[in-house]
Formats: sequence, structure tokens, C-alpha cells
Amino acid sequence: MLYAETISKSYGERNVLSEVSLSVEAGSACVVIGPSGSGKSTLLRCIGLLEPADMGAMTLDGKKYSLIADRKRMDPPWPDLTVVFQQHFLWPQLTLSENISRPLERRMSKPEIRRTMGELIELFDMADFIRRYPNEASVGQRQRVALARAFALRPRYILLDEVTSSLDVEQIEKLFRHLVVLLSSGIGMVIVTHLLGFAKAIIAAAPKSSIVFLDGGRITESGGRELLESPPPGRMSEFIARMQLAS
Amino acid sequence: MWKILFEYREGFTSGLMVTLALTGIAWGVGLVFGTVFGWLAHRYARSAGLALRVLAFLTASIPVIVLLFWAHFPLQVLLGVVINPFLTAAAVLSIVNILAVAGIVNAAVKQFPQELITAARVCGLSEWVTLRRVTMPILLRQITPSLLNSQVVILQCTLFASMISVEEILRVSQRINATAYKPVEIYTALALLFLVVCLPLNIIAALLKRRFDRNLSER
Repeated sequence: MLYAETISKSYGERNVLSEVSLSVEAGSACVVIGPSGSGKSTLLRCIGLLEPADMGAMTLDGKKYSLIADRKRMDPPWPDLTVVFQQHFLWPQLTLSENISRPLERRMSKPEIRRTMGELIELFDMADFIRRYPNEASVGQRQRVALARAFALRPRYILLDEVTSSLDVEQIEKLFRHLVVLLSSGIGMVIVTHLLGFAKAIIAAAPKSSIVFLDGGRITESGGRELLESPPPGRMSEFIARMQLAS
Repeated sequence: MWKILFEYREGFTSGLMVTLALTGIAWGVGLVFGTVFGWLAHRYARSAGLALRVLAFLTASIPVIVLLFWAHFPLQVLLGVVINPFLTAAAVLSIVNILAVAGIVNAAVKQFPQELITAARVCGLSEWVTLRRVTMPILLRQITPSLLNSQVVILQCTLFASMISVEEILRVSQRINATAYKPVEIYTALALLFLVVCLPLNIIAALLKRRFDRNLSER
């Protein structure tokens, strides 16, 4: 189980996160929605131990991590806990294929790497462009590679930050099907998304999943599938209506 | 031209060797200490970084030839010492190169996209593997073209050493010309010599820059 408690973070005078807590059980997802600038990406970076928080802690399968501590002094849980970013962050000097296989080199045998690569190339339809460099691939192709790189590591928990933003509908559907497979295999996820349909489908696929609405750095609403179906009147209801409009 | 070159081959060879020695020292010292200084300037921005900025600003404002003259004449008078002009030229060119290399390294380290290191971390790569397989290859690609260009400039700056009586290739050429009076042949040979060394380095730098710029951009 991943349990992040009372995370607070500010940049100077500006509070970005105020006592945010969330939990994800193995095999379930926590879907985070909220307007731009509400602190969703910062929340993922704090949980991913990529940015120190002003306050907060995280427990990952019984092991506690201080989110304010100096990262160098702890044994971080990567890649058991990994992150896929909206901006991909592929290594530009490597081909797309190498971007996926390089982190596997010390974790898997060569035949195992080949098999994993083959599965992921098929899953994300990457055969046509996998030998290109990142700058020779489209945004959507790079997004698929970033996802494949994370999935290849076989994490126990995965944080996904707006990963559908540069995928077409076919790829979103494939990603969704793969996420369902991963959820059923016991992987826990925190998913930041602006796609209402995607959020609903994820929640429906994993019954223990939850949704949180982040606004102004605070979780103002949280619950299960019913929260998306009939949000309480107010800020979240307005936001859901806008998400529906955008969909 | 070939006749003159052959006739004065010993003089040309000795001048060329002095130029190459001067260049070798300036390149070696500059690349090693400049890289270290550049990294320190990034790591300790308030001390080493400030020192690099001030020194780079000063040396950029003073022509190399003036620095050479100043180090050869007034400085030695002030210190009450007499130093071999070759050593003076080697020291000045090395310092200029250290600052040039440090500036290039410091700028590259500063501008390095930290997100690529973050991506390596969340993929479970260790600090050492990240340095070896992610940071260094990208940094080398970024700095190599600029380093090559700066080393060509240093090679060309060795000619200024003739002004403080270092017996390098230009000074030797001037002396031979004073005897043979064949300026067209002698200085054409000198130009060709520099062309043979500098042109490939410049072409390599331009090609690498084009290739690496392309590979490092994520559109």
C-alpha cells in the first residue's frame, strides 16, 4: 500500500500543497483531477521523492519515507515506485529502443530484455519508429516510449502525470487496457488526468480505486466512482461539467 | 615554395616543434584544469563561480597579445625575475585556455536538463550509472564543438608568442624571410600549414555541432 500523509509544499509565500493525504492499495488506482495549477504535478513529484516537501511522509508497503528529508540520505524506492511525466524526458543521445532497454540492463538477462521489449513494442505499436532518436519521433510516439520505459521496469507503484495528453484515441484505449492488466496484476497507480472518460473507466476497472479533486493545493473532495457520476454542487461539479464539455 | 621549405627545413621544423609544444601545453593544461575549474564553478557558485566570472571578464577584455607583453615585461620587472619567454607564453596561453574551457564546461553543466537525471533516477539507475550513461555522454556532445573551436583559437594565439621572442613558427618564418626575402612562398607555406591543422578541426566542430544539436533537441 502507498500512503502519503499531510503533504505541504510552498514556493516562497505561495502554498502549492496544503496537508494533502492520499492512499493507493496494491491493484488499485487513485485518480487525481483538478484545474491547472492546483498542484497535481507537484503532488506527484513529492510522492515520487523528486521534490522535497515542507511537510509530509509516505509509507510504501510498510516502509516509511520522509518527504522532507534529503533524498541522498535515504534509500529511494525507485524503480519499484516510478513516474511517467507529461514531458517524457527521454534521453536524447539514445535511440527510442535504447531508452527502454538501458535501465533494464542490470535487472534482466538479455533474452528477458528482448522478450520484454518485444511485448512492449507490440503493445504500443512501436515497431515502425523504435530505432529512431527522440528528436525524430512525434510527441505521441515519445509518450508511448516513456510509458513503455516505465512499464518495462515492472514497478509495484506507478505515478502517471497526464500521460494521455499526447496520445490519440486508439493509443489511449490501448493504454487503458494495459493499465487494467497492470492493475489486475497488483500494481498500484496514482493517475493525474484531464480525461473524464479515462478517469471513469479506470475507477470502474479497479473497484478499490478512488478519486480526489485537488483545488488550490487542497483535496476538497474525495471518494469513489459515485463522486464522478454525481459530484457535490460547487467547484468540483463545475470542473466535471467542463471536463465533460472538453471530452 | 617547396624549394624554400626544403632549404630552410631545419629552421621551419624547429619553429614548428616550438609551436606544437606551446599548443600541446596550453591544450593539455587548459582542458584538464579548465574542466575541473568549470565544474567547481558550478558546484561552488559563490566562490569558484564568482572567480571564474571575474577572471573570464578580465581576460575577455584584454587582448592575448597584451597579456603576453604584460607577463613578459612589467610583471617580471615587478617580481625581479627573468623567465624564459617560452615558459611565459606557455603560462599565459594555458591560463587563457583554462578560463575558456572552464567557461564552456560551466555553461554546459548549468544548462544541463535536470529532468534527464530525474528520469534516470525514477528508472532506478544509480548515481554512477547516471553519470556514466546519461550525464557524461550528453555533456560531451554539448561541449565538444565549442571546445574544438576554442582549441583552434588557442593554436592561432601561439603566433603572438613571437612578439616576446619565442622561436615559434611565425618568428622563424620572419627570420628566414629576412634572409631569403621570399615573403610570398614563406607566408603561403605558413598559411597552408595552419590551414592543414585548423581547417579539419573547424570542420569536425561544425559537423559535430550540427549532429549533436539535432540529436539533443526534443522538438
